[in-house]
Amino acid sequence: MKEPQALPLLVEIGCEEIPARFLDGARDDLGKALLAALEEAHLLPPQGRAGKWYSTPRRLTVWVPSVLERQADQVKETVGPPVRVAFDDAGNPTRAAESFAAKGNVPVRALVRVTTPKGEYLAVRKTQRGRQAIDLLAQIVPSVVTGLSFPKSMYWVAKAGPRFVRPIRWIVAVLGEGPKARVVPFALASVKSSDVTYGHRAYGQRPQRVRSFKEYQGKLRQARVEFDPQRRLATVRQKSNVLLEGGLKLVEDPWLERWIVNSTEWPTAICGGFDKRFLRLPREILITVMRDHQKYFAVEDRAGSLQPRFVALLNLDRDTRGLIRQGHERVLAARFADAEFFWDSDQKVPLAERAERLARVTFQAELGSYADKVERTRALAREICAALEGQGRLTPADTGHALRAVDLAKCDLTTQMVQEFTELQGIVGGLYAAAQGEASEVAEAIYDHYRPEGLEDRSPRSLVGAVASLADKLDSVAGGFAAGQEPTGSSDPFALRRQGNGIVKVLVEHSIQISIKPLVQSALNSLRLDWKKPLHEVFGAVVSFLEERLRFYLESAQKARYDTVRAVLAAGWDIPLDAVRRAEALEKLRGSDNFEALCAAAKRIKNILAKSATASDWAPGEVDRGLLDAGPERKLADAYERAANQVGQLNSAGEYRKALETIASLRPAVDKFFDKVLVMAEDRAVRQNRLRLLGKLDGLFSGIALFAEIATIPGHVDASTSPGSNE
Amino acid sequence: MAKLKKHFKVTSSRKNLSFQDMCLRLSEFWARQGCVIALPYDLEVGAGTMTPETFLRVLGPEPWRVAYLQPSRRPADGRYGDIQDVYLASLADLGIDLRHHDIRFEEDNWEAPTLGAWGIGWQVMLDGLEITQFTYFQQSGGVDLEPISVELTYGMERIAAFLQGVDNVYDVSWNDAVTYGEMRQEEERELSVYDFEAAAPETCRTLFELYEGEAERLLASYSLEVAERFPLRQVYDLTLKCSHLFNILDARGAISVTERVTLIGRVRKLACEVARVYLDRKSAMVEAQPA
Repeated sequence: MKEPQALPLLVEIGCEEIPARFLDGARDDLGKALLAALEEAHLLPPQGRAGKWYSTPRRLTVWVPSVLERQADQVKETVGPPVRVAFDDAGNPTRAAESFAAKGNVPVRALVRVTTPKGEYLAVRKTQRGRQAIDLLAQIVPSVVTGLSFPKSMYWVAKAGPRFVRPIRWIVAVLGEGPKARVVPFALASVKSSDVTYGHRAYGQRPQRVRSFKEYQGKLRQARVEFDPQRRLATVRQKSNVLLEGGLKLVEDPWLERWIVNSTEWPTAICGGFDKRFLRLPREILITVMRDHQKYFAVEDRAGSLQPRFVALLNLDRDTRGLIRQGHERVLAARFADAEFFWDSDQKVPLAERAERLARVTFQAELGSYADKVERTRALAREICAALEGQGRLTPADTGHALRAVDLAKCDLTTQMVQEFTELQGIVGGLYAAAQGEASEVAEAIYDHYRPEGLEDRSPRSLVGAVASLADKLDSVAGGFAAGQEPTGSSDPFALRRQGNGIVKVLVEHSIQISIKPLVQSALNSLRLDWKKPLHEVFGAVVSFLEERLRFYLESAQKARYDTVRAVLAAGWDIPLDAVRRAEALEKLRGSDNFEALCAAAKRIKNILAKSATASDWAPGEVDRGLLDAGPERKLADAYERAANQVGQLNSAGEYRKALETIASLRPAVDKFFDKVLVMAEDRAVRQNRLRLLGKLDGLFSGIALFAEIATIPGHVDASTSPGSNE
Repeated sequence: MAKLKKHFKVTSSRKNLSFQDMCLRLSEFWARQGCVIALPYDLEVGAGTMTPETFLRVLGPEPWRVAYLQPSRRPADGRYGDIQDVYLASLADLGIDLRHHDIRFEEDNWEAPTLGAWGIGWQVMLDGLEITQFTYFQQSGGVDLEPISVELTYGMERIAAFLQGVDNVYDVSWNDAVTYGEMRQEEERELSVYDFEAAAPETCRTLFELYEGEAERLLASYSLEVAERFPLRQVYDLTLKCSHLFNILDARGAISVTERVTLIGRVRKLACEVARVYLDRKSAMVEAQPA
């Protein structure tokens, strides 16, 4: 039988404009899903599991260079009756053989004999011809396409029709190339697959027949479509910078680059200008207008000061008459004029006078207005400040600044600037506060109080700002849980996870040594709403949510091993900063011989204690030195006493690494003890005393992290489980 | 080629296209596409979508094509393929040459919470200026739509300002003799004074409740027996009155946090009831017809 040939497959789904933010995901999902489906259908050659995928706003393209023209043939064997019952003594087939042959639809003589561990059996062997790729693809491609999922999808024919991110308008599905190329026949939403694609809206709406990937590339580029996003990115970078004369450069913006690449088929850069007078507006505002609203790059000089220029990317070959540049300049001038008007008119009512208006701005339906939120946040901020003043980290004046910042932080929600440019909330407040003569500490704290907006974002610059940020986020998280808006699975309507991450990050980066549970309790106590669940349940939920956020922080930001994290959290985390410090120390010590061995010993001690606890003939208590044997037992007790003292001091100084090293130095004494001493002694008093000694050690091994939770390397386990079967 | 030349000619003479020319031209364009050219609805509506020609007709089941200046829209049979291309042709008809202007479809989904309506689509940008809202309706009056209609809302003033090359919309020429400002500026000022300053919130609230009460009274009287004579459009008008009064109260800053949510919910409830009755009556009438 001839080996099946490999053919190239080209698929293009032509759509109405796919939103830029979904495009990368849609393209990658389609490519991966199609390749996986081909593999599952045994249509990929063993050496050729390759494919490439591309996208523009109007098309998702997948090219698979080698698809088997049909599946390989498969031999199927069905085993029937044993040979000894299939033939009589004369060697003639019995009924068993005949009915088996009939079932398999073959004559008896076509049956074969197979040897199994149970003896010789009759079997039917059939060769199943592999199915043709073109037939299989006619089912695979449409089911892969309709199987894609999007954050937001739509119907465009009717409910019975397909759902997709935007309406599908044409489909290219070609197997093979050149004269032998064949269309994979299927239809989606009454669009039939074909070998016809379309170029750029403005230049190439005529149908283009494509019978190979090479032809596809050539004809699309001819029709002003660069289907490869990598190439569009290169074009965007190169064409933008060519426009700028010496010394000027684009304000770097990877998000905007991505957006432009995903919203053009044929990007071309133009450079426009605006009136210098707008440069009196703060940089943040100018950039937001250009970037978020008009999708322009801002331009700055070498020193980083903004220039009255912008770079816009067209989805066209060129701006033949300069009309487009003029259009963009007019729109931008109008936007800047609005911003300028807001800037001047907002300031006629200072932030401080806007506080009362917050009573009419909803925070969340169940949680009241922003005025309510500010009042709650203020109480939390006061509590945090009190703790920090107690630690000598804040002065009463700082506390004053923090509370002032909290009072004013939400006032910018009532300004026209923020109502128009919502992404500038906080920032505008900070800018107005500075312009209105508030203390710079206050202005900076307002400016920063929404930060960090994720683990990658920076924390507030000052400790005062950190307090404002923490108090705001704690209130939002507590409120969200109380109102039944806690995150579940992929749904997190109020982005509480991000806020939870922010809380942890701020606590750590500003070294804020504070217990979290009392703060959660205060945050919940100050809420006024109809409690759907008992308060203590909500409290428990918020606390375990924060523990989860801390775990996430340790694993993603600190890259701590999962068992380190588990061990540290199990030892307590009420002061999150402390837990992070302990994890850092533990991570540094991991892998050292003494430490790994000690973890194994810790596990062993836990087991012994757990078993003995059920025996109920001992109770934890002080070790009676008089009952200790001279030798390893007394030595261990002495070593413990010394270590415990030192560890106590080191812990209170936050010197966890040294504390852990001290504990690790107990290893020889512990090993010796287990080596030579039988814990479960006959004498009850002696046994209890030994268990108490182990209890003390267990306490020491569980204070910084629960050593027993550390996954030890097997080699080290052996080292401490040598003779003496104490377990 | 002949077609392109024609567009080119229009482009070069576009300064002559007055606001009223533009309205006429678009109406003619959509009439050629088979749309009913309806007249503006004589009631206060916050958005053109609220007029019965859209709100009720999109509920189906028959496909429906209509265009009117309120702004202009065209709910249509979703199977009708290239609505985007037809839309672009309408721009070309106004003299906007796609090779010389950058047209972009940027994601923008539309929602009207008081009507229980939402859709998926784009804002259409012309050289960085938003000129049209383009929506594939998914739900209206809380009903999943069948068939799916498309709505195009042209920002007429913006397009006119663009075509005429003026920065201020009041400077747009309505025709050769009158500007947009002369036609509209006075009423804009008066309505603003009322909505932002002069409206009496208590009166608005009372009116809201009267209209709502009347609508509820009528809805309670609906049954299949009286379906044919049921004054559904009056109930819908009452709903629109409520919606408008809500907007005035909102603009006046007279709505508290919780009240806002509640009021939106009350208007939506009426709108959803209207949609339900509309469909119920339709299916009853289909069944009543002899086979």
